[in-house]
Amino acid sequence: MWINMGPQHPMTHGLWNLRVKIDGETVIDVDPEMGFLHRGIEKISEDRHYNEVITLMDRCCYVAGLAWEHLYILSAEDALHVKPPQRAEYLRVLCDEFQRIGSHIMWYAAFVQDIGLMSPFLYGMRDRDLILDLFQSYTGARLTYEYLRVGGVRSDLPPGFTARAREVLDWLDARFGEYDQLCLGSDIFRKRCDNLGILKASDCVAHGVTGPMLRSAGMKRDLRKDRPYSVYRQLDFDVAVAEGADVTARYLVRMEEMRQSVRILRQVLDWLDQNPGPVLAENLPRWLGAPYAPIGREGYLLKRNYPKGVGFSSVEEPHGEAQAYVVNEGGEHPYRVKFRSPVFANISAARQYLVGYHVADIPPIMGSVDVCVGEVDR
Amino acid sequence: MQPEELQARISPKLGENLLGVEPFAGTAGRVRFRPAGALELFETVRDDLGFRHLSMVGAIDWVDHREVFYVVWSDDARQYALLSTDLAADAPHVESASGIWPSANWHEREAWEFVGVTFDHHPDLRHLLMPEGYAFHPLLRSFKLHEPEELEVKSRRV
Amino acid sequence: MSTVTLFSVSYDLSTVIARGVASVFPQPIHGWILSSDVVLGFAILFFAIILLAASMINTIMLIWWERKLLGRFMDRRGAMHVGYAGLLQNFADGFKLFRKFTVRPREADSAGFYFGPTAYMATSLIIFGVLPISTGWNGGTLPLTLLLALVIFSFAPLFIFVSAWSSNNKYSLMGGMRSAAQMIAYEVPILLAVVAVVIVAGSFDLTTIVYEQQNYWFWGPLVVALIVFVAGMLAEMERIPFDLPEAEAELVEGWNTEYGGMLFAFFMLADYLRGLVGSFLVVLLFLGGWTLPTWVPSSLTSFPLAGIVIFMVKTYLVFGLFVWVRASLPRVRTDQLLRVGWNRMIPLSLLAIFLAAVLVTVKCLPLFGCVPSPGV
Repeated sequence: MWINMGPQHPMTHGLWNLRVKIDGETVIDVDPEMGFLHRGIEKISEDRHYNEVITLMDRCCYVAGLAWEHLYILSAEDALHVKPPQRAEYLRVLCDEFQRIGSHIMWYAAFVQDIGLMSPFLYGMRDRDLILDLFQSYTGARLTYEYLRVGGVRSDLPPGFTARAREVLDWLDARFGEYDQLCLGSDIFRKRCDNLGILKASDCVAHGVTGPMLRSAGMKRDLRKDRPYSVYRQLDFDVAVAEGADVTARYLVRMEEMRQSVRILRQVLDWLDQNPGPVLAENLPRWLGAPYAPIGREGYLLKRNYPKGVGFSSVEEPHGEAQAYVVNEGGEHPYRVKFRSPVFANISAARQYLVGYHVADIPPIMGSVDVCVGEVDR
Repeated sequence: MQPEELQARISPKLGENLLGVEPFAGTAGRVRFRPAGALELFETVRDDLGFRHLSMVGAIDWVDHREVFYVVWSDDARQYALLSTDLAADAPHVESASGIWPSANWHEREAWEFVGVTFDHHPDLRHLLMPEGYAFHPLLRSFKLHEPEELEVKSRRV
Repeated sequence: MSTVTLFSVSYDLSTVIARGVASVFPQPIHGWILSSDVVLGFAILFFAIILLAASMINTIMLIWWERKLLGRFMDRRGAMHVGYAGLLQNFADGFKLFRKFTVRPREADSAGFYFGPTAYMATSLIIFGVLPISTGWNGGTLPLTLLLALVIFSFAPLFIFVSAWSSNNKYSLMGGMRSAAQMIAYEVPILLAVVAVVIVAGSFDLTTIVYEQQNYWFWGPLVVALIVFVAGMLAEMERIPFDLPEAEAELVEGWNTEYGGMLFAFFMLADYLRGLVGSFLVVLLFLGGWTLPTWVPSSLTSFPLAGIVIFMVKTYLVFGLFVWVRASLPRVRTDQLLRVGWNRMIPLSLLAIFLAAVLVTVKCLPLFGCVPSPGV
């Protein structure tokens, strides 16, 4: 019997449809159907100025907008031959890591809800709100930030930000232990999640699965270490790895990643305290419109002689490895923008980690994948 | 790994189907090849060079021709490499990589529905993000935004 | 104990009203109205109305209690806006559901679709009617009240299955199947745990069972039976961690997926009514019912309606325990649930029966005192 889990289903956490073929309560085949949230972001980008694409990036992944902005900005800067100042790089890492904690907390909240734990959902939302407040204080928005710019970031931190951010980090650090107690301390949780949704490292690699799912299979692969972008080379942190390749292992990896992010953020905040400076490159081509300069006739003329280029970037987004490929053919718009979403690849391997388990296991397994439909459908 | 090394290790296998290896910022290089040598190249790259991880398959419409590019990652070299091939615009098709890297499956479906590149011997080449029966390839340059389109959405019976 | 009972109150009420109405009419209508059959009939009607109102108000207050408690467990406040501290919020919600249009899926079987929730609601109300809440409050002193209550309790899977199957939805059907399997699996340990209590108390009559607990409440010596009974009740009430039949994450809403409006309200109310009744049973069987321990000075318990108040306080505390469980445990899986039910609960309940038999044999326990002689 085929049943449609979606597009309106509590398990999906977004708008997609998991068609499941079941025999009794056992899953014998699955077929994910995507595209309900497709907005044609790659197509729209072809009609937009480089800095206007940033707006779309927030809509790509609604829990990790800043990470996607960073991804796009890196390859756009490659394509446009722009170098950001050092302080902007640190600010971007600040965004990335806060976003990673926010995204993981959001994942935690949704995941525990899937296996029937109700209270941690509220705890997670409560703690994530502190991070959103911080974002609001320096980007002006809580969900769609539009903070990064080609050649830097839009604005510097408000006064008193780092002190407040350290308070939040202290609070969060204390909460992670509580999260663990609620989940790992519960026998039922372990019974539900151990040896569930196993995807071995070799299968992960074959199916393009990245991020916490790959690291939970014991593979130490993190682009922040393996291919350091931005200023990750200067920062001291460990890659979270777990053995077991099951749902519990993914939980452990994400929890450890949050702790590591706190560690990174402390270093970043210290650096930001000591090194004031510009946050936007000064020699930007004016037609880029960065940040608010009008694009006039003069800009148009300048732009025609601008060198062409192709940018390729890859960042460790909270869900895994995201890539962008931006082609600059000299026009005021990018010629082609192509994104690789980690969740896209992770869902495409659904058959590998869902078949053979129970219907009741689907929510925890899909929850451990951390689906964000916005970036799958783009 | 440098472009020269890539060139040296691929060209014996591929012969004239290899058009050259260019440097590409942030990667080991960009391998340009003829579509006829696709499968051989994929096998060489995966098995001999250790690029076991296919991250992305993308396609670009250059109006006079179409380009398909593959991004692969090697865990040993900790590097990306790009493979890219040009296809004729009138009948763009290339051998599917999903036999070599299963992860190519969805990426190729996406490239097919958006840019209209056919992947031969693909196990499951159907619409992914667009509804079934959608007759356009939206990421072609000829597909302009803000134009009315005829759209027929078939409903699926379960 | 006073002789004022719920039924005597409603009989008096009926008599007063009958006299008032009859005074308007001449003979022979006057006589007819005052005839004992008519008065008795109205007395029964008033009795039923009072019971219905009491059950509904209690159910709704129970939902309020759960919402407030859950809110506190989750570090928030719960309903706050309608009425003081959100007391009227559930009445507002109920009124909204009452006004809603009931949608029946075209392919659903209409007879079963409407019969299921109605029967589910009705049977749950009957249990409320037969349970004694205090000395004066019961639907009649049957010798086998406890058995009757449990029998009606176990009707539920049938009605759930009927409504699930007739809604013609795959999720509903799966939820109905799970519900039936789960309730049947947990019916047995519950009954066995009750047998332990009955052995010690020597009666199936709940009033007698409560009076048997005057020396000590049964939860102490029969703690194994209490554990089995509470766990079984959680499963019977379909609450977390045993709420698989309506496991929201995978089955949308389980067997009541297709229900909306008043029919959904029936399910919802009946669920909480069963929660209420389940807590009643725990209080009656293990926590001394409407009595307090003998060391509590009687001056503290001699206010009017003391029995009912004490009983309700105990009930709400027991239900608070269920809410606490809900706030802190994840949901188990079907196979795990059934394995626990058949492989753990039944041996445990057999152990409970054994312990009860030992207790009756040795008669006296060092900490608790002596068992009253069975079957007073």
